[in-house]
Amino acid sequence: MDASLQLWRSDALGTARRVREGELAAADVVLSSLDRIEATDARVNAFTTRLAERARKHAELLDQHPKRSKLSLAGVPFAVKNLYDIAGLPTLAGSKIERDAPPARRDAVLVRRLEAAGAILVGALNMDEYAYGFTTENTHYGPTRNPHDLTRLSGGSSGGSAASVAAGQVPFSLGSDTNGSIRVPSSLCGTFGLKPTFGRLPRSGSYPFSASLDHLGPFARTVRDLALVYDAMQGPHEDDPACAQRAIEPTLPQLDRGMQGVRIGVLGGWFREQALDEARAAVDVVAGALGTNRLFELPEVERARAAAFLITCGEGGALHLNHLRERAHDFDPMTRERFLANALIPAAWVVQAQRVRHWFARRVARVFETVDVLLAPATPCVAPPIGTEWLEINGKRLPARPSMGLLTQPISCIGLPVVTVPLWGQNPGAPHLPIGVQLIAAPWREDLALRVAAELESQGIVSAPIATLA
Amino acid sequence: MGDEQIERLVDANAAALGIRIAAEHRKGVVAFFALATRMAELVDSLPLTPADESGSVFRPVAPHAEE
Repeated sequence: MDASLQLWRSDALGTARRVREGELAAADVVLSSLDRIEATDARVNAFTTRLAERARKHAELLDQHPKRSKLSLAGVPFAVKNLYDIAGLPTLAGSKIERDAPPARRDAVLVRRLEAAGAILVGALNMDEYAYGFTTENTHYGPTRNPHDLTRLSGGSSGGSAASVAAGQVPFSLGSDTNGSIRVPSSLCGTFGLKPTFGRLPRSGSYPFSASLDHLGPFARTVRDLALVYDAMQGPHEDDPACAQRAIEPTLPQLDRGMQGVRIGVLGGWFREQALDEARAAVDVVAGALGTNRLFELPEVERARAAAFLITCGEGGALHLNHLRERAHDFDPMTRERFLANALIPAAWVVQAQRVRHWFARRVARVFETVDVLLAPATPCVAPPIGTEWLEINGKRLPARPSMGLLTQPISCIGLPVVTVPLWGQNPGAPHLPIGVQLIAAPWREDLALRVAAELESQGIVSAPIATLA
Repeated sequence: MGDEQIERLVDANAAALGIRIAAEHRKGVVAFFALATRMAELVDSLPLTPADESGSVFRPVAPHAEE
């Protein structure tokens, strides 16, 4: 292979087309991705496991596949947050404890679906321990650094997933989002990210955090790739009781339908108060490009966030009860005291939080009777330096790490689908850094959020360039 | 809930659940529990009726539905 071709720069859609047509060998594409990982990951630290041998073997099989010309993701390398099962490896979920777990017997359902479509898994990605964080400052595996500024946070908990895409190591990746863990790192690393509707994609074969709130979803550098990958993963699965029995609803063919008939609004109140200037500016740019100034306020957003917080505490604490009894010393210091506290909260708090969640979902559904897509910042600010302890937001000094999820948590609380789109240059003091805007749709309307994202991309308002890593 | 009440609750619940909290972690655990308490006050003060159902829904499992 001629290294000057830089196949790792290609998007998934283009790579798959060329592999399908026999213009490219999957083996060369995979080799290019592995070389890029080798050249950059000592600086970024996105990967915790590289699967070079498995990837090369799968690429060879793909190149001889009799139905290669039919595969939507033929030869496209990808990587997954290390809470997805990979056959033969323990599923780490960012922890030290799970190194002692038995190896997974088979790949996670979404990995299997992607590989059935021709994609090739090249590795597993760093994350906050047990997905409990927004920064990927993992003590066991080191922090994942932001490819656009290596001194800054990648976001989390799917920090490795966002960073690997931003660094050009893979064209797409998978992460999970319980309270913002796809949208926060998408925002800080400048990638597109999709958190689908709660219950859309099966979580079978992934390590849970809070079963009532866990979502899986993709990261990519173009809206088309995001839709392509999402479409390949859709469909119910019997092993995930939360997964809806819905037929596949392809979104890629919808992307060119334009904006006609799509009603856009801007979220006010909490979603402007808990944001710094750069986050509000990014939303205003998007609203201007879409020609809207309609402002919407959701009721009781702070209580909705509190409900998500408590459900996460209760379910996360209970899930790790035995670990907390027997191996508390092996937890990451970044999560240990929070997990210990969470295990102790009264059941009534969690039950009440679930009732508030339903109350909020019903009120927000009424809002969607008059609007199709709502805009809000994905994070309060651009990526802070690694190790940042405090942020000042709306005149208040707040702990930086949990505050990165202030604007995402109320939305995932009620399972709405969200596409995060990256803007650049919104912070004059750090013009090299991106910030994301959430495009929030009603349940099951991923197609609308993706259409709006495609429109913004076509206007040149949003983009996800590969980091120079200079 | 006051600080002392929170500390008593943390100690009692930890004992009931068989969790030993090392001395160096107790301060952090109490602080996070206090934060959860503030979140619970927010959730608890929203007026709800008995008709406001939970957001957690169970789906019965039919025979042969499992792989």
